[in-house]
Amino acid sequence: MGGVSSYAALSTRARAMYADLLTPQDISRLSDAPDLGALIGMLKNTPYGKYLAGLKEGDPTPRRVILQIRQRLAASYASIVQQAPEQTRPLVRQLFRYFEVGNLKAVLRSIHTISSWTADIAPWDRVSEVLFPMGSFSAIRAQEMVESGSVVSAVEFLRGTPYETTMSFAMKRFSAEQNLFPLEVALDLDYWRRLWGEIKHLKGKDREMGGKLIGSLLDLNNLMWAIRYKTFHQLSEEELINYTLPFGFRVKDEDVRAIAAGADIPATVSRIYPNLPDIAALLADPIAGLPQLEHLLKQQVMKQCVSTFIGDPFHIGLPLAYLLLSDFEIQDLVVLIEAKSSRLKDDAFRPLLLKTTLVQ
Amino acid sequence: MLFPKQMSEVELVVPAKDLVAVTRALSGYGIFHQVDSAHLGVEHGGPNTWQEKAASYSTLERRIQSIFQTVGLPEEYPSGAGIESMVELEAIAPEVDRVEAEVKALNDQLSEEKKRLELFESQLRQLEPIADVDVEVGVLQKSAFMHSILGIVPAANMSRLRTSLLRVPHVFFILRADAQKPVIWILGQKSNFDVLERAAKSAYLSPLSLPEEFNGTPEQITAQLRHEIDSSKGRIAAYESDLAKLGVSHKSELQKLLWDARNSRIMADAILRFGQLRHTYVVVGWTPTASVEELSARLKAASREILIETTATSRSGHHANVPVALMQNKWLKPIQELVGTYGRPSYGELDPTLLVAFTFPLLYGAMFGDLGQGLLMMVLGILAHNKIFLKGLHSLGLLFAYCGASAAVFGYLYGSIFGFEGHLVEEYLHFHFEPFWISPMESILSVLSLAIDVGIVILALSFLLGMFNNFRSRDWAHLLFGHSGVTAFLFYLCFLAVVFGGFFGSTALAPKIAVALYALPLPYTPLLIVFGVFVMFGGFFRNMVEGHTLIEGKGIGGFGMFLVQSVMDLVETGISMLSNTLSFIRVGAFAVAHGGLSLAIFALAGEEPTIGFWITIALGNVFIIGFEGLIVYIQTMRLHYYEILGKFFHGGGMQFEPLKLRPPK
Repeated sequence: MGGVSSYAALSTRARAMYADLLTPQDISRLSDAPDLGALIGMLKNTPYGKYLAGLKEGDPTPRRVILQIRQRLAASYASIVQQAPEQTRPLVRQLFRYFEVGNLKAVLRSIHTISSWTADIAPWDRVSEVLFPMGSFSAIRAQEMVESGSVVSAVEFLRGTPYETTMSFAMKRFSAEQNLFPLEVALDLDYWRRLWGEIKHLKGKDREMGGKLIGSLLDLNNLMWAIRYKTFHQLSEEELINYTLPFGFRVKDEDVRAIAAGADIPATVSRIYPNLPDIAALLADPIAGLPQLEHLLKQQVMKQCVSTFIGDPFHIGLPLAYLLLSDFEIQDLVVLIEAKSSRLKDDAFRPLLLKTTLVQ
Repeated sequence: MLFPKQMSEVELVVPAKDLVAVTRALSGYGIFHQVDSAHLGVEHGGPNTWQEKAASYSTLERRIQSIFQTVGLPEEYPSGAGIESMVELEAIAPEVDRVEAEVKALNDQLSEEKKRLELFESQLRQLEPIADVDVEVGVLQKSAFMHSILGIVPAANMSRLRTSLLRVPHVFFILRADAQKPVIWILGQKSNFDVLERAAKSAYLSPLSLPEEFNGTPEQITAQLRHEIDSSKGRIAAYESDLAKLGVSHKSELQKLLWDARNSRIMADAILRFGQLRHTYVVVGWTPTASVEELSARLKAASREILIETTATSRSGHHANVPVALMQNKWLKPIQELVGTYGRPSYGELDPTLLVAFTFPLLYGAMFGDLGQGLLMMVLGILAHNKIFLKGLHSLGLLFAYCGASAAVFGYLYGSIFGFEGHLVEEYLHFHFEPFWISPMESILSVLSLAIDVGIVILALSFLLGMFNNFRSRDWAHLLFGHSGVTAFLFYLCFLAVVFGGFFGSTALAPKIAVALYALPLPYTPLLIVFGVFVMFGGFFRNMVEGHTLIEGKGIGGFGMFLVQSVMDLVETGISMLSNTLSFIRVGAFAVAHGGLSLAIFALAGEEPTIGFWITIALGNVFIIGFEGLIVYIQTMRLHYYEILGKFFHGGGMQFEPLKLRPPK
């Protein structure tokens, strides 16, 4: 009864928002747009229209359009955080923080490469366009960090934020290695540990459904990290274990440790996801195959999200599933915007789209 | 006193042979403001030996200053009265080298010892987390067969770290359990050191580097380190003492070297900005007209063949490039600083210091009228000015004293002493003290109305001063049609008569000046419309007088936009006149509030004159002086900056910065 009263309004709203997501047919029609201008025109007739209305006439840059489109996801997060039952709000907030971690990494990368930039545009003007519009949810002072000019000074601005302790350890390695890798890995691990921790604080159906969805997302990341570290970075077993996580929905610690110890990767992946097509053939060429595997795994998460809308609706799973699907949809739109602005041929970008009739 | 000093432009042609002597004469007496005239020379742009010299003198000066800092000597003003000439680099550089070498040898030892101390202290800090662990850390660290890693690891990474080590034999100790930063110790075979190190590093373990030269348990090592720290501090004190002695022994020599290098650098910098011809130099600058004779005499004494041309510059017209030298008066210094915060008068513009010296204390006193508090503030101001008490407020001391004196006078007029007013004076202080003029608490509306009258007088005076400034600068367009010009002033008077004299004339708040104006047999409403049209199209009329395009930006929005802008100008002027006038109501309001605040203190103190009563009254007075005194200061400043100075004072003058070999003490 408690679940019903807590979720009656939120689940109805999540369903209504879910119905507002673009269909695979919509994505297909958008893919047919001859150029960026036409795509924007078509998008203005979708629920993204009100976020694109503010774009100035003329020649909007792809970055600007993407920024506007992301406003919709930010608004959805803000709305769901507000309506979610008290005990689930920390989870939704932490999930939203994914974009803040992304912003933080973008800021650190920009500072690290700032010396190679041309001086015609102020660094902050350049960086601000690629940041996710977190609004008042952001705990980081991105502009001051960019303008501080060095990674060390920028990290000083993280005092009092959830990132302080993590960064204090990671900065020691950065100082020694002058490489952003340890900072980014530390931020990722900390983010996912906290997110999983929030799931563990939940009870009953919330914990079960939250675990399935967040666990699926975590599986995707954990597995891709493990394969990439093994295949491209040739990290040792102990490093790989330390740079991955021991929990998830389908991917277990044993699987990650097996990959770390040098087990056959395609066999391991096939064991975890038996319904995926021939993984061995896919990973024969890792450079081309890994992005395709990631694409397939994302579609697995999307299927998990879609299946959440079937059955008992009174749990946090519905809003979470909507938010994840909304994010994947925006990833598709980003592909379309980049493709149209670069005038890519159909066969170059259509395979990259996540939302197909297969995952509807 | 009313205007900046009159300035004369000075142009000199100096024979190359007298260059240094003339530069010395120009730099030595603080009366010549140099203008960069390097572009007038024919040699500019080419290699310049003076540029190298100036850089070398500057480097030398910095080196000497660094020696001063190292030996802890303060820079002192040179004792001799004479003005030194330029010294050759070769003459002082070897002496600087010698002293610097002596100081450096000692300073290097000191730096080395400080580094050692820093290391010991850092090692001590590293030991803190394991201070209570009873294990001989050093023994295991030096083991031939074991590899040991001691450090702090993020708590969240610990379990993963243990998993990552499963494939090699190891021992894992948690030396200090901590929710965020546990201290751990990993021991494994030397042959597996790479695995252990990689695991620790990838788990973000922050190693504790313990001193290898010490043995024992952390407690024993800590004791050894503390001993070393004490010894090191002793050695540092000895080195510092040696350095100080070295400084004392070289004091006079260093002072001389510093001033030689500094004077030479100032003169070389000045010469760099001379225009260099084939055999002569062109020098351009400014001097106060009153100092022309003195400067000429000194220059003639320095060079018999020098050509001097001076032109006195009239104060009328625009002279943005003329430096402004204000009259110096130590009694007006804080007022001058107050005005300086707003702006520096331009050449030819009226210096508002005297006016502000009168109006600032007047308005302050009117708002903070209290005989006792005013006198106390005056005394505190005098003490601060003489650096006896409140030394940090030294620069504001005189201003406090003036405001305090004015507050005391108004306190006498209002019949207020330390917050006691009327019957309270007789009841508690046992003497008779009646308001000499008016009690703000008993005549609230009269005080407010009077404050508006004072505002009208001050604003009218500001308008007149604005017109005077425009007249002096021959700015006829702004004199007639400017925001504080003749038409705007007449509009203001009609506005006062119609709005304050006519519309609000029958209210108790009506200012008497406005009512008196309205009583004059003049057709105010038609006049208001006529002058309103002048204000509305002020820009148009100004352009007409100055011969510019009549309607600026005609193409932008067309005539319609011009009309809209003009209407907005009129509305803005009307609102600003209304708000500026009403703004002065705060003078009366604060006078009333001062009495009200005192009453609140009395309500807290009670009625019986016990010790508690007097303590409350004393604390209340301190609060009023500190809190209300500050607020009234801010309000007075605001009235001056927004309502008064803006009407006639533009500022923007360039500061007169004469060449000086010796800065003021």
